[in-house]
Amino acid sequence: MTFTGTIGTLCFFPLRAIIAVSVVLRVHPNVLTFVGVLINFVAAWALAVGRFTLAGFIMIVANIFDFIDGKVAEELDLRSEFGGFWDSVMDRFSDISLFIGLIYLYAQLGRTDYVMITALAMMFSVLTSYTRARAESIIEKCKVGFMERPERIVLFMIGAFTNRMAAVLWVIGVLSIVTVADRIFYTWRELNRTRIGTAA
Amino acid sequence: MSPKVTRVLSLPFVIFWNALFWTYDRATWQYDLMVIAILAFVWLTPPAWLGDPIATGPGFIGWLLGLL
Repeated sequence: MTFTGTIGTLCFFPLRAIIAVSVVLRVHPNVLTFVGVLINFVAAWALAVGRFTLAGFIMIVANIFDFIDGKVAEELDLRSEFGGFWDSVMDRFSDISLFIGLIYLYAQLGRTDYVMITALAMMFSVLTSYTRARAESIIEKCKVGFMERPERIVLFMIGAFTNRMAAVLWVIGVLSIVTVADRIFYTWRELNRTRIGTAA
Repeated sequence: MSPKVTRVLSLPFVIFWNALFWTYDRATWQYDLMVIAILAFVWLTPPAWLGDPIATGPGFIGWLLGLL
């Protein structure tokens, strides 16, 4: 097993208990998703006031909700198309709120360079999701590129806990740009392949 | 990338291309390598090199350079 796989398995054990409690209480998964977003807003506030460690802890709690909603929906047999849509939209709120928190912080410090870097990272993070969603309306699958939401969230937490947010923003920014480019290229290639296949 | 193209190109370019045009799943050894590279950048780069508005200190690389 790889080391990232081992970390994933270890993290999943405590989550099983939380999922079980949510299932017993029959908490609707859409409510869990929404609570996760609200908690992320608090994390964004903590980032905005420069309290990174606190923000890291709040992000952990918020993302527990974010992670378990799908599992609870599965166990309660409440999976729905609207649930998937709601989850995606709420994820964007969560992502953008964290970036806005950092933009506020850097603006307060008079660091326009990092305001720009954070804004660019935010733009390409949103485009990462958008390109995949749009591509999958015209091709079957577009799951290429490294920097997806789970990677972003874990990087945010690492940046918050170890006070290395600037480096994290560079990584998120650069790899999100590459991911968007990957998806545009992949979609173009798949569409061309389909067209050539149809013509032949 | 087609096998024909892969044969023509040199190994470093293929590695670079595969890292750039990422198609690997999570929990693969390629994913682990990428994670290690990212963590190395985040933790080892001196905050001053990036003009970090919040973090201070030399970072691991800065500390090593200070020893020289």
